[in-house]
Parts: sequence; structure tokens; C-alpha cells
Amino acid sequence: MQTLTADVAIVGGGAAGCYAALSLHKRGIKPVIICKGLVGKSGASLFAGNLVISGRLLGNTEGQARNTAEFLIKYHNQFLIDQEWARRCGAWIEQVYYPELEELGLYFRRDDEGNVVTSRGAIRSVAANVQGNSGVPFMDLRRKQIVRAGIPRLEETVATSLIRNSNGHVGGVFCLNYMTGEYVIVRARAVVLATGYSDRLHQRSTGTREMSADGLAMAWRAGATMVNMEMQWWHTNDIADPPTWQRMQVYPNPMLGSEKSARMVNSAGEEFFNQQNDDPLAFGPYTVQLKALVKQVHAGKARYDGGYYAGFDNCDANEVETYTTYGKTFRQLGLRFPEQLVETAVTSHYRQGGIDVDTATMRSSIPGLYAAGGVSGHSNGLIGLATYDGRVVSDGIAAEFDSLTDRPIADSECEAERRRLEKLRSRSSGGVSPAKVKEKLRKLMWEKVGVEKNAAGLRSALDDIEEIRLDVLPDMAISTQSSIANYEWLDAIDVMNMVEVCELIVHSSLERKESRGPFIRTDFPATDNKKWLVANVLKKSGNGLRFEQRPYQLPFFSPDFDVRDNLQVAW
Amino acid sequence: MLDTQISPRDGASRLGQTERDDTLLARNSRMASGATIIMRVRRQENGSIRYDTFDVPYRKWMRVLDALNWIAENAATDLAYRWICGSKMCGTCAVRMNGREILACWEAVEPEMTIEPLRNLPVIRDLVVDRAPFENKVARLEPWIERSNAYVGFPEPLSHKQMKDASKALDCIGCMCCYSACPVIGLGDLTDFAGPAPLVQLGQTALDPRNSSAKVARSLALTGIFNCVSCYKCEEVCPAAIPIVSRVIEPLKAKAAQLVPEMAGHARALRRIVAARGRVDPGALVLSVQGLRALTRLPRIVRLFLRGKINPLRTLFGTKTAAAEPARRLLGREASQ
Repeated sequence: MQTLTADVAIVGGGAAGCYAALSLHKRGIKPVIICKGLVGKSGASLFAGNLVISGRLLGNTEGQARNTAEFLIKYHNQFLIDQEWARRCGAWIEQVYYPELEELGLYFRRDDEGNVVTSRGAIRSVAANVQGNSGVPFMDLRRKQIVRAGIPRLEETVATSLIRNSNGHVGGVFCLNYMTGEYVIVRARAVVLATGYSDRLHQRSTGTREMSADGLAMAWRAGATMVNMEMQWWHTNDIADPPTWQRMQVYPNPMLGSEKSARMVNSAGEEFFNQQNDDPLAFGPYTVQLKALVKQVHAGKARYDGGYYAGFDNCDANEVETYTTYGKTFRQLGLRFPEQLVETAVTSHYRQGGIDVDTATMRSSIPGLYAAGGVSGHSNGLIGLATYDGRVVSDGIAAEFDSLTDRPIADSECEAERRRLEKLRSRSSGGVSPAKVKEKLRKLMWEKVGVEKNAAGLRSALDDIEEIRLDVLPDMAISTQSSIANYEWLDAIDVMNMVEVCELIVHSSLERKESRGPFIRTDFPATDNKKWLVANVLKKSGNGLRFEQRPYQLPFFSPDFDVRDNLQVAW
Repeated sequence: MLDTQISPRDGASRLGQTERDDTLLARNSRMASGATIIMRVRRQENGSIRYDTFDVPYRKWMRVLDALNWIAENAATDLAYRWICGSKMCGTCAVRMNGREILACWEAVEPEMTIEPLRNLPVIRDLVVDRAPFENKVARLEPWIERSNAYVGFPEPLSHKQMKDASKALDCIGCMCCYSACPVIGLGDLTDFAGPAPLVQLGQTALDPRNSSAKVARSLALTGIFNCVSCYKCEEVCPAAIPIVSRVIEPLKAKAAQLVPEMAGHARALRRIVAARGRVDPGALVLSVQGLRALTRLPRIVRLFLRGKINPLRTLFGTKTAAAEPARRLLGREASQ
């Protein structure tokens, strides 16, 4: 076992993790990045299609600036957000984020005359080089910044457990380099979890291969408080086939340099969503789309796993091709673009909730443990928000740095974790493979914890999870004991985290007795702002869990009704 | 059937597709759901290599990655293969299918296919290669911007015209398909060529007008770029459809010739000779590039002579051909200098 020492261990190499590392490095605090995939290449940040502009940037009017804030709070978070944090974040994006990125060399797409190309309408966005692909050059830039700064990174290395120091604070991370099979213990004064917004917990999920809710599971096992775990977001028009493309979206956002955008039609060929007509704030219409689809499913004209179509057949080819990558998917399937539509389906996307943090510092409920970006439960995703979290957590850690003690960590905890992992690798004959367990779990989450949920289904999901825990997991076995690039072993490690977090999600879904935005309970169809405009706080107690409610402050925007059928609510 | 109307602008990749009659539409509609794909996969661990064959059931619009996933879930759970996003963004799932570099997440399956790891990189296990040699080369080129003028604030003056070539390079997802396909990289340490993928990574900032010339020169000096033989293999396999030779390597060569002229000795000599004589004269080229050093390699010179590659008499006494005038006109005035 190798032991590394740093000031701060950052788990995750996406927008939040990279920016936290860079900001800490700038302050002279030594970070190390532990990344299950490759820094800048794994996780959700890569998928940023375009970048929303806030405030008065690029000639935004006062109205457009306000719309952006309203969009974030209402359509993106259904009011389950700290509005003061949102205000600070918006100001930072306006004043620091854009100039800093451009100074580093990020190319915000211009036309030949030198104007930055924006989408039109109530809220505007820009793209890094090409719309639909902005995350690629964005994260590539971050990767190179990390290389340039000489920040150490442990890649293709999975963090498996948080380790306490003699003070009882989180003081390290236990890791496995799954390419070499080597264990690495990273000792640090603080640990930042930045493992992202989405995990592959459903049959169809935008979470990438490596995302198995590790951050949430580690935090929960260490005793951290969680929040709004039920608030699952959905993509409504991702490619139905092939399965590999389940996270490829027919982007419904406004297009750069165009008045038009994608539309969706049902199995009868009737249009049921057109971004320009149906999305009041004309930016992130995911919830608006989802509700439109639910109505189609109820009418028997679509299914959640397909049977409806999306595309750009209402647009001129040149208009779509000039600034976007949207045509590539269609052409690769041999479809005529933009004349033909493609069959689409629902995919579980970001989670609004996660680890409960103090939004001024990103500190969790456990000393020494911080969470930034999607894994923290204070906002839904945009790459700018995740980046801002990276900044806030570095400020938070810097302010508290002297009180974060560098104490020895418990060898017994490391040894116990090593034994747990070895055991997962040693079971070799006859049992069920981890890949099959993942499949089983994702199937039950899709069927019973999908777009529309109810108490009976959720309870049945809990029974199924219990069965997996008691009957399947003890029987799980892998076919090779190799320590080199053993993805099967990694799958086995993932499964333990997924089971744990799925259970928390189901419990939280049972607890929120209303429907709100993308969270739809058929047994509680109304959005209830009187009782449920609150954080659904989940705490560990003894061997079980308990819920508490915490109201949100509403300084800038508040809903204009108390109780209303969720499908009749715009957001 | 070969389409004889293909223009050079269409690129080598289209030529190959037409030859093999595997347009995307053909490949996406050739099989019906439930049909069987015969898939041979190269397995490797600790130096022992074997090929395993699997029968994979076809499903609609199946990608190579879907087939690999099917194998890992149903037939060989210990198969090691790398992928992250499944959406042509992370660039980690590149393999060779029937000898050609592809992104597994992007390419349609073939009815019969052999899947092997990328070339020119060490294999860790099965289809997983070690990315480190590529990453180290990229890092060594320091592909970032150093401004000679202070940044003026967002948005700074910049047009897409100025960013045209850099913008193409920015589509790179670092999948290393081109690095595997490059015959010069295949020569190993015989040259100091950085390779197509590292050059594209460098091109993202070296072709950006905001970067300082001194910085670009420093990076270019490390590339060995004139070892590129312009064979277009890289362009042929690039899943991001980047015109690697015409829009990245050629503009970088031009920059290198201008900023680091000593790198371009061979290319400049060739231009000079063609402009002066209206033909390629290999003997003059050897003399011009190697000078008197050529005499220390006499056996090689003799070999070249015996094979008719060089003709010293023609080099010393041959007059210029009628093509010299048009060559000078085409190559421009600076060619004869």
C-alpha cells in the first residue's frame, strides 16, 4: 500500500474538482486529484452543450438577466435552492468566469465578423467552439491547466472509502488504482467530494460508465447528511437505440444564430413539443418537455422507453450545421438530416439533491469533508454552477485551513477497507456477476422508481433492494482475480455503492408526499408549496435513517400558488 | 464499384468507404435484429495473446461498444476494454475493427469483425492501452496560450476567420486513432516525430492568433513535424472528421518554416531545387541537406547511385528544364531564395 500526503484530496476530475484544485493550488494549498476516469474526460462536465450567459454580459438586457435567474431558480430547481447562493454565483459568472476562461484561451464561437455568436430569445447562451460539444474544449482546457500547474492526479483510480483521523474528522481517502491493482491511501487535512450530478442507477441513464454514486455512498457511510435525494431530473429526448447512445440528446435548447430549435412528435406523428412555442423561458426546457411527454404517455401516444421522435425537420440544414454538432448523430445512423427524425426515449439525468452542504463554504455535516458541484445537494446542474462550487470550496477550505488538523489516520480503518476490497475480488465461482447485479438494480429503479412513482411501487422497490442485499450480494462472484485493469472487480465495488444509494433515493422519494417539477408521484399529484417547499433532509441515525424538513428562504422569486396539479404547473 | 468522380477534397476516408461499399446507411441496414455477429476479440494479459470468438445477437443500430458490452455482460465478464461516455466525447474507446481504427461507441458493427487494441501504444490488458506515451508527448509540447499582449476583457477582438484552423483542431477528443494509424509513429524511435494526435492538440493553441510566436516556436521545435509524410492515414481514421493534414499539420509546417526555419531545411531545399531546375533532383537534395556530411556516408551514396536514385552527372551538369519557370511561378518567389 502506497501512502500519499496532500493538503486537500479532491475526488473527481470534472468541472468542480478541477476548479477546486486550481483555486487551491493558486493559494499555495496542495491538492491531489483522485479521478475514477480521466481528468477532464470522465463524468458529466464533458457533456456541456452550451454555456448560459448571466447578468449583463454580451449586451444582455435587464430582462434577460432576470430571466436567467428565474430560469435557474424555478425551472431548474423548482425553488429548492438557496437564492442568495444563486445570486452570488450569477455575479461571479458575469465578472470572473467568462473573462477568466477566455483569457486562458477558451474559444467562444465568433462569426467571421468577430461577434460572439449567441442564441436568441429570453435567455441567451454561447458555445465553446461548437454548440453541442462545448464541454470537450472546456474540460480539455482544465486538463491542460492541471498538467501545467503540476497538480498530482491519480487517474483510473477509484476512491472507495473516506478515512477518519484520530480527531474523528475525515482525514483521508482509501483508493484503488484499478489499472495496476495498487492500493493508495491519500492523507489530507480535508477531502472534497466532486463526483458529479448523475449516476448510472437506472436502466437508461446519462451517467457515464464510471458513475456509480461513489461520492454519495462514501459520504453516507461516513455519516454525512443528505438532502433532496428524490429530486431526479430526466432527459426527455435522448436517442432510444443503440443503447450505447442512451445519453445522447437531441438538444432542445435554443440554437445559436437561429430562431428555431428541435421539436418532438408522438407515435401518431403529432407535434407535442416545439422549443420555440412551448418553453416559456426558452432555455432549459427539460421539465417542460417531461410534462408534455407524461401527457402523451397517458394518452397512449408514447412510451418512456421510446415510441416518439425528435429532430430538426422544421429547420434549414445550413442553420443547424453552422454552429452545432447536432447533425452528426443522425448521419451516423444513416438518417437524412435534417429531414428525418430519430426515435427518442427518457433517460435519468441529473440529481438536484445530494450531500447537504453549507453553501458559503461547501462544508458537509462532517468535519474535514466538503462537497462541490453536482454531488452536493444545493442546486441542479450547469457547468458554470459546478465551477463556482469549486471556487467556493477552495475559499471555504482556505478560511478554515488552520482549524483543519493534520492528524494520523486510523490504520485499522485502512486495513478493514483493504480486506473488504480483497474479499470482493476473491469470490470466484458459481455466483452471479456484478454486471448482472447492476442490470437487475437498474431495471428495478427504471420500473419502480422511474418518471412516475407511487408508494406501492416504491415500497416494492425497497423489498427488491433488500432481496439483492440479502440474497444476491453474498453470492456475487467475478471470473478473474487479475489485478490489472480488472473492470469486473471495479463493477463489484460499484455495486455496493449503488445498492446503498438506490435505497436512500427510494426512501427519500417515499418521504416527499407531493409532485414537484420532474418528481412525479401519481399518489400525490399536486405541487404543495404550503407543506413541501422545503429541503427533504436525510440523516443517519443508529443503523437507520430519519428525515427532517428545512424551509427555503425566498428573497427574489417565489411561487404564485399554494397547491396545484403538478402537470398544470409550467415549471 | 469505385466512384471515379471523387475529388481530392473529399479525402482519403471517402475513397476507402466507397471501395468497401460500406456507407453508413449500408452498414446500419445490413442486419436484422437477432441476426448473429461473429466477433473475434484479441485478448492479452502478461504477454500471452489469444483470439476469442463470440456470437453476438444484433440489435437495432448496434455500435461496436454495444457488442463489447454484450460480451462483458453475457459471455466473457473478464473482458477488459475502456470506455467512459459512449457519445464520441471522451475519446477513450478507440480500438481497431478489421484493421481500421474506430471509436467503439460511434461505429456500426460489421457482420464479421475482429477487434484489436490500438497500435503504437503498450497494451495493459485485452483492449486497454496505456495512454501515457501520448499524454506525455502532449504535455511536453505545452499546448497552451502565452499572450504577448495583455488580455483586454470579455469579449476580446477575435473572428472565426482567424480561428478557422484552430477551430478544426478543437474538435479533437484525444482518442488516438490517428496515433495508431500513423506509419511514421510506427517507426518507433527512428524519428522524433510527435505524431498526428499531439500535433492536433498543439494546433489548438499554436494556430490560435492569440498565442505569442515565441511560445509557438518553442513548442514547434519539439515536434519533429517535417517527418510527416502526408500520407493522410490520420485523416482517414479521424472519428471527429478533422482535416488533420490539410488544416492542422500543413499550417503548422508553414508556421515552423517561418518561426523555426532550421527545422525546415529539407523542405526548403526541395522547394529551392524544384524552383531552380523544374524537377526533383535527389542528388541535389542530398547535397543541399547534408552538404559535405554526405561524403561520410559513402556506402549509402553508392547504394543510391546503383539503384538509380541519384545521378551525380545530372546533378552537376544537368540544365534546368522548361518546367522551371512554371514551378517558380507556382511555388512563389521565396521558393528560389
